Amino acid sequence: MADRIFAGVLLLVAIGYTIIAFTVIRAPFQYDPLGPESWPRILGLVAIPCILFVLVRPDVETFGMPLRTWGRLAALVVMLSGYAYLFQPLGFILATIVFCMALALMLGSRIVPALAFSVGIGLGGYFLCTKLLDLNLPAGILTFLR
Amino acid sequence: MDAVFSGLASGFAVALDPFNLFLVLAGCFAGTLIGALPGIGPINGVAILLPIAYGLGFKPESAIILLAGIYYGAEYGGRISSILLNVPGDAGAVMTTLDGNPMARNGEAGKALSLSAVASFIGGTFAVILMSFFGPALASYAIHFSPSDYVALMVFAFASLASLVGSNPVKTLLGAVIGLMLASIGIDANTGVPRFTFGIPDILAGIDFLVVVIGLFGMAELIHLVEQQAAGTLKTLKIDKSFVTLKDLAFVKWTILRGSVIGFFIGILPGTGASVASAVAYGAEKRAATDSSKFGEGDMRGLAAPEAANNASAGGAMVPMLTLGIPGSGTTAILLGALLLFNVTPGPLMFTQRPEIAWGLIASMYIGNIALLIINLPLVGLFARLLTIPQQFLTPLIAVLAFVGVYSVVSNPHDLYMIIALGVFGWFLRKLQFSLAPVILGFVLGGLFEDNLRRALSISAGDWTILLSSWNSIALYGLALLVVVVPIVLGRRKRNRAEDEAPKAPA
Repeated sequence: MADRIFAGVLLLVAIGYTIIAFTVIRAPFQYDPLGPESWPRILGLVAIPCILFVLVRPDVETFGMPLRTWGRLAALVVMLSGYAYLFQPLGFILATIVFCMALALMLGSRIVPALAFSVGIGLGGYFLCTKLLDLNLPAGILTFLR
Repeated sequence: MDAVFSGLASGFAVALDPFNLFLVLAGCFAGTLIGALPGIGPINGVAILLPIAYGLGFKPESAIILLAGIYYGAEYGGRISSILLNVPGDAGAVMTTLDGNPMARNGEAGKALSLSAVASFIGGTFAVILMSFFGPALASYAIHFSPSDYVALMVFAFASLASLVGSNPVKTLLGAVIGLMLASIGIDANTGVPRFTFGIPDILAGIDFLVVVIGLFGMAELIHLVEQQAAGTLKTLKIDKSFVTLKDLAFVKWTILRGSVIGFFIGILPGTGASVASAVAYGAEKRAATDSSKFGEGDMRGLAAPEAANNASAGGAMVPMLTLGIPGSGTTAILLGALLLFNVTPGPLMFTQRPEIAWGLIASMYIGNIALLIINLPLVGLFARLLTIPQQFLTPLIAVLAFVGVYSVVSNPHDLYMIIALGVFGWFLRKLQFSLAPVILGFVLGGLFEDNLRRALSISAGDWTILLSSWNSIALYGLALLVVVVPIVLGRRKRNRAEDEAPKAPA
């Protein structure tokens, strides 16, 4: 069932891809015999039979995951998105501390070790990356770091 | 032959440059650390550290030496978590757990670790030596490949990928096609026509290679780790005082040699890396043994064979990557993408045009192997302590590394969402038993495949028979057919035999 749902979604995407390849993509005039449209057409025409095969003969029935695990994964994705959202405006240090705290606590760490770990990664990571390795990280609202 | 030795000499001049030497050692050390972490294999390690290595602004040969060191080190380090925890870092290390972990449980953990380090060293060194001779020879042959030959080579690569990797060939092929489709997004370089961009400016130039790698390997791995969290705590076995003896080595010397040969040649096959090599080597060793009853309960041969094979395959996989520009495994696909980021196109011309990269990399692998043996024998206790890093801290750390890597290179917050989305997608693929290596192989090869096809048909003015016009390409199509047909026939025969032996088995 899990296979079928996923393959169904993939099939819709692949059909959309193929339709675009056959209708929208067109070079203003012919540069080479194949042009920009032939390759995506070939890919689409290979992908669709493969997906149909998976639809007809799926081999993964279920994900075998309890609802709680789904919940935890959803929370993870929310946290990651939050981290991505805050990364630039808030700056690396604060965003990292918040994110690491949240994730470590969700994964069952106690508060004090989690706090020590998060602050360590946030501050240590920032100075290691920007000062020692010369990588570009956002300073965010802690403008005095810039 | 002279060219090989003068090439090696110039390579050692590059690799022994103090800074590069430092990078080899640093890469090997970091790689072993990452490989030793439970659940993280070479491909994830290289993927997570690639953008950071790129962002450091080194010269291409230095960066690739560092990355290759990480790759190598992770292949070495993977055995630590396999042996002590029974948790393989990736598919290539699964075979190591079969006899390595029982040995550790029998009170021979020290012996298992030292034996596997020696086996890894021999396998790795053997592969580098063969590579120094094979590589230039293959490159000078491949220099005459026409675009249509390259098309045939790609078909062969994807055929062997589909038939040898993963449990379901159709899913493997579909994975590769998904990779090819992802690569087709963006402005077509030949005509300037945008494809599948939907007017979104961020993907006009295509999806960044680093973003795909970090998403599919770093983030998907992260989600996987969180999913596994509930599975209970891991129990580490203690390292004891036992150590490998010369008598043990004499007992397994042929095993190691066979494993190395098998590993190297399977590594060369496009798309098939350590996982296939170690499985084949283990199977062959078990069949060759006169008394195979102890396999799976801590037989030294069962540990030495896959360890020699997976390190030899790491070297073998480099051969087509360097000489043809076709990666031999998922991890070398990432290294190939890394070279492309530096505007270095791996292929037959690299040995003559950029010898400092080709030979420098090969020479650094000689050094890396020796360094890894030295690092791994006495320091194994230090790496083993890493296994006790609580998962609740390791997991956020991976996310932070991935974010730092992507942001420091592309500096576009949009890409942070992209890696999350690709991570979720990659995790779904993994859950549904698609392997991810074909996806990245497809993504890396997509541009090359399309370019060569279009170039071939431009030469022939649209006549498709050009694809079959040279003996090289016909031979490659023949090989492609062979790798698809042989496993099917063998599988059917095996099934028939099994049915003959157990005729009353319910259908």
